Amino acid sequence: MYVELRGINKHFGAYQASRDVSFGIEEGNLAALLGPSGSGKTTILRMIAGLESPDSGDIFIDGARVNDLPSSKRGIGFVFQNYALFRYMTVFDNIGFGLSVQKTPRAELAARVEELLRLIGMEGMERRYPAQLSGGQKQRVAFARALAPNPRLLLLDEPFAAIDAKVRQGLRSWLRGMISRLGLTSIFVTHDQAEAIEVADEIIVTNAGRVEQKGRPVELYKSPATPFVARFVGDSAPIGDIGRLKGFDGADADVSGVVSGAIRPEFIKIFAPGESVQCESAVEAAVVESVIFRGDALEVSLILKDTRLSARYPLEKETIAAGQKIRALVYCLYAFEGGRTRLLHNACLGRQHDAYSYSI
Amino acid sequence: MKSLSRFFSFFLALATFFAASLFPATFVPAAELELTNVSYDPTRELYESFNKAFQKHYKAKTGKNISVVQSHGGSSKQARAVIEGNAADVVTLALAYDITAIEKAGLIKAGWQKSFPNNSSPYTSTIVFLVRKGNPKNLKDWGDLIRDGVGIITPNPKTSGGARWNYLAAWAWAHRQYKGDEKAVKDFIAKLFKRVLVLDTGARGSTNTFVQNGQGDVLLAWENEAYLALKEQKGKFEIVTPGLSILAEPPVAIVDSVVDKRGSREAATEYLHYLYSDEGQRIAGQNFYRPSNPVIAKEFGDRFDLKVNLVTVDDPIFGGWNKVQSVHFNDGGVFDQIYTR
Amino acid sequence: MRTKANTWTARALIGASVLFILVMLALPLAMILSEALHAGWSAYWKAISDSYTLKAAHLTLTATAAAVVLNAVFGLAAAWAITRFEFPGKRLLTTIIDIPFAVSPVIAGLVFILTFGRLGWMNPILTAYDIKIVFATPGIVIATVFITFPFVAREIIPVLEARGNDEEQAAALMGAGFFTIFRKITFPHIRWALLYSVILCTARAMGEFGAVSVVSGHLRGKTNTLPLHVEILYNEYQFTAAFAVASLLAAAAIVILVARNIVEYMVKKEDGGHVR
Repeated sequence: MYVELRGINKHFGAYQASRDVSFGIEEGNLAALLGPSGSGKTTILRMIAGLESPDSGDIFIDGARVNDLPSSKRGIGFVFQNYALFRYMTVFDNIGFGLSVQKTPRAELAARVEELLRLIGMEGMERRYPAQLSGGQKQRVAFARALAPNPRLLLLDEPFAAIDAKVRQGLRSWLRGMISRLGLTSIFVTHDQAEAIEVADEIIVTNAGRVEQKGRPVELYKSPATPFVARFVGDSAPIGDIGRLKGFDGADADVSGVVSGAIRPEFIKIFAPGESVQCESAVEAAVVESVIFRGDALEVSLILKDTRLSARYPLEKETIAAGQKIRALVYCLYAFEGGRTRLLHNACLGRQHDAYSYSI
Repeated sequence: MKSLSRFFSFFLALATFFAASLFPATFVPAAELELTNVSYDPTRELYESFNKAFQKHYKAKTGKNISVVQSHGGSSKQARAVIEGNAADVVTLALAYDITAIEKAGLIKAGWQKSFPNNSSPYTSTIVFLVRKGNPKNLKDWGDLIRDGVGIITPNPKTSGGARWNYLAAWAWAHRQYKGDEKAVKDFIAKLFKRVLVLDTGARGSTNTFVQNGQGDVLLAWENEAYLALKEQKGKFEIVTPGLSILAEPPVAIVDSVVDKRGSREAATEYLHYLYSDEGQRIAGQNFYRPSNPVIAKEFGDRFDLKVNLVTVDDPIFGGWNKVQSVHFNDGGVFDQIYTR
Repeated sequence: MRTKANTWTARALIGASVLFILVMLALPLAMILSEALHAGWSAYWKAISDSYTLKAAHLTLTATAAAVVLNAVFGLAAAWAITRFEFPGKRLLTTIIDIPFAVSPVIAGLVFILTFGRLGWMNPILTAYDIKIVFATPGIVIATVFITFPFVAREIIPVLEARGNDEEQAAALMGAGFFTIFRKITFPHIRWALLYSVILCTARAMGEFGAVSVVSGHLRGKTNTLPLHVEILYNEYQFTAAFAVASLLAAAAIVILVARNIVEYMVKKEDGGHVR
């Protein structure tokens, strides 16, 4: 593990920001710290950077314990949420700042800055001031500035939070590509799970100061370890008692007592009246509450047994309208028992089927 | 950064300037002899002339250069400043009480008033009325001042030596007028101060209020102040000498603790003695102070009404400055009682 | 976007402001000049070149320079400490900084007398080392420094607070030391506020009367600043001279304002228009 945290605890006054946080990140990986606001992800990032000190626990970078090392000696590049560009310095001076602090000779510094300007595609803009740059340009300069001193670890604090939605997409891909090219171990903080899923090699989900799960995006999506992860990563609709659904109520369902769960849109198939269905016995009656056009499919909000669920409906089929009575089949769902998550399949389908083998 | 270096050099220049100029003031001693004379308000012109004359005299007598640093202000204020540490070689104040205060603070040895002739008063003065040309309100004596519609200007007896002489002069007249009836006298004084328009802290301030600002019908003033005003503003004012007034004896003294520390006793003594010399007495007369030397005083007979009836502060009705201060001017004394009525 | 003043209210407000400026500023300035030149240029020159006037000017400049330098350094340090750190007594420090504004200058002067005067509690130490504070130049300097104490800190604190310290953190993270951070990041941001407060400080210091009057002793040629000297001249019926010296102070004020505008212009130019 290139970066490792063991047993980290941190509190601010009475507020516990990090509880027994432990994880490791491999060299060259781009990891995302994902969680809702206040979950402690930024605190973790700042502790790795040395901007905060943990109350207890150890932080290792490349095998060495860095708790007592000041930020500037940890070999870290940091991109702040609002970029924190030096507004009274030119782009050139901003990027070259880290090197000038290290007293790098001027020629070498200039060469490196030029190299980075090319990397971020902003040649010719070195004389500009941050106030003259767009959001995306500022972000790239912040990135270049963090990279200039050749850090061994790159930390980014919600790098896309302040960017327009349209630009964000392009910038994400660009950043992803850059980091892969450089092979630099990186950790970024985000609250946007779609972003984390798209950009990161692995995701560490935080909640209330704890690490809920760590894994590749696909793993988190398909096999959420805790109810929180199941709800947070990817879309899902909660359900209070899975036993109320046909196919999850009998002894076959292997569930004891009232168990809550969550159902992803792709776990439900909607049938128009008259359409034939496998497993008639498990089909439920439902009412369409609303239909929203999502570009490539319809997102249908339906009420099934007093529970609001969300499903997708292909455009090619006849459209359905709000208020329409339809039939729906829940193929599988996540059951939350004792803080763990299990993927349960509808009894009538048999266990061997993988939820994701059902196409819409 | 251009502007940054500009700032720093500006600050540096300032700091150097400040440091350089501060140095002489505290550490480098004066190259020549220097006496500090802390005086009261109206003596500015007097000492300006006198100091020049003294410098010549001292150079002729001892061959040394000497300079005199003057300070002026309300007499009691100046005395307090000396007590607080304003280092004066000599004090030339408006009343003995102020110098006694310095004595009580331990800076002057007891018996100072005997050190120089005439109770240490090289010149005297009295209180007169300064009125507008033609005396439109026809103010001839103290009794006229309490008529309705008369506006009086006088400084505050609590801060100004001259104002205390004013008060005592008025009191002396009232005492004679009402044949010692204390209540009647207090009534008179009360009425008098009710007609005061502005109460400045010092004699010069009152003069300015009357002369420059044009306030009031009559200024109760030191005689020398009144003459000075006449000189400065020709044809605008008149002096009225009341029937009875007070002999104001502004004394002078050496501040022992200061001269002993500085080693300037000899020069300071010479300075004060010179006030009694013929030249010193003439300068006093020229500046409208009554010379204590009767021979020289006669030379100014056309200027001063040498026959005016004058009461001194040691007269039985007053009993000396200590009694006057505690009875009249201390907190809660007669003046406070009267003025708040 | 400014709209034209074509409403009655706007005109009234503008008219009132112009009237105020005329009466409170322009008229007195004009009066000072006309009184000063009343007796002609040679009298004016004589009054200004008089040795007492020159000494008073020297003292005023000294006290002002000291006040500016000391308060700039202290004000910067205090502003930095208050906005960047948490420490016990922070609230107290902020309150103490404001005391000179709340206290009458005369009271301040009296406090200095009570402290450094012959009867003051520091007297034994001072006499032991033969140091004169009140009734001498140091007392005047201290009084002036006290009066202008809050200006720098009060101007800079809001600027530092409003901005937050992200940039400084970023710089520290890259290994920059305190002075580098201050020089390259903090200072450019506050220099406008600093300059403005220095201007205020200078103007206030030059015109200070109350506190200085109390601690001065009025020793002519030694402990009189220009404002005190003006009072003395006035009290000696030398009205023309008094106004002539007053015109010096007025000229200084104008010079300060012009200097400020020049530097403001140059700061804008240098930054390429990006002052904030």
